[in-house]
Amino acid sequence: MSGPDDIAPPSDSSALAAEYVLGVLDAARRREVETRIARDRAFAREVAAWQVHFAPLIDEIEAVDPPLYVWPRIRSAVFGRGRRGGLFESIGFWRWLSAGAGGLAVAALAAVFVMSRPAPTPLPPAAAMVAKINLDDGRPAFLATIDLERGTMLVLPISAAIPADKVPELWLIPPGDVPHSLGVVDVSHPVSITIPPALRAVVGLKAAVAISVEPPGGSPTGQPTGPVIAKGGISAI
Amino acid sequence: MSDATQTASERVLLDRERLRDTLLAVAGGDRTAFETLYRLTSAKLFGVCLRILGRRSDAEDVLQETYTAVWHKAGLYDAERASPITWLVMIARNKAIDRARVEAGEPRSAPIELASDIGDTAADPPATVETADGSRQLDRCLKTLEARQRTLIRTAFFEGATYENLASRGGVPLGTVKSWIRRGLLKLKACLEQ
Repeated sequence: MSGPDDIAPPSDSSALAAEYVLGVLDAARRREVETRIARDRAFAREVAAWQVHFAPLIDEIEAVDPPLYVWPRIRSAVFGRGRRGGLFESIGFWRWLSAGAGGLAVAALAAVFVMSRPAPTPLPPAAAMVAKINLDDGRPAFLATIDLERGTMLVLPISAAIPADKVPELWLIPPGDVPHSLGVVDVSHPVSITIPPALRAVVGLKAAVAISVEPPGGSPTGQPTGPVIAKGGISAI
Repeated sequence: MSDATQTASERVLLDRERLRDTLLAVAGGDRTAFETLYRLTSAKLFGVCLRILGRRSDAEDVLQETYTAVWHKAGLYDAERASPITWLVMIARNKAIDRARVEAGEPRSAPIELASDIGDTAADPPATVETADGSRQLDRCLKTLEARQRTLIRTAFFEGATYENLASRGGVPLGTVKSWIRRGLLKLKACLEQ
């Protein structure tokens, strides 16, 4: 942990943890600290301790009701836009998709995804991309459609099997970078993911995606802790 | 209602337990519990985001990211470490600060008055019972700092402001602000761990 204006001595990890919790660090330094949190348990405990130390200040922050439209937005981002009994929840659709999984399925899926959008305006081609996330033997494990306009990703399970007490976690790996978690997905249901704004710029044709096997709730460290069972690249629709 | 016979701390403890149970249900994939959690906590979290970001549309986006993360990561909540609301607020703060760094739109420019006295003129902040012990302790320890250190640390927490921003608003050199805050934090730590 050294930088050109690193004034604090390296042993001052508690001050660094406090600076991170306070929010005084710039973006680059925050990423460094987060990498350290993921690797260094003692440091992660320092950060957690400072969060608790400062927690009383939360009482002084005025609560403000968010606008009513925010909850429906969150609900559809988290649970998906498909209505109960809709295409994505139809077993026939999934059987058809797994049977024909491959280029044809991807194209069909992309078409379905675009058609199922409520907005009448078609997507500009560059705003939609697809990721085929394959097992080592080449069979597709998940398919993901990426909607850059909304910053969302719909992740559809095709033929992934993982232990019952584990969950699959999706990672975005920009070229030359470490994996960034996009969240926990599901082996039996489609999951809609909101791509964090900081990552939207790097979701592109050069980035890779991967699925690792993690404990319930996802990787506790911020980096993959279990085996990577599937990976793939991103292509334009 | 038995409120009259219930002490305030008992009520808060019940609220805290209710939130914890709700969060546990969310971790188990309970969508109704997720909606309950949103109803109980979104105003606080939106207030936190708004204070850091200033712009409502940004705060709305970050609120959405926060609850999306909470849905996926509720299983990581550790009741031994922090209260449910602390855990939720810290997720929201982190995301709001990240967003503020990326957008770097219109940084706050309101001057910060940095008095050099040690005197304690600020009124005691109202403490809710949930954090009463921690609140009293933090309050006591913040009072051992110089007034300007206390102001800078509190402003940084509420607004997620960078050292650079605090320095320009306080009208002091960057290095000075860094050293004031760092010394303040170390003193705070020593006091809190007594």
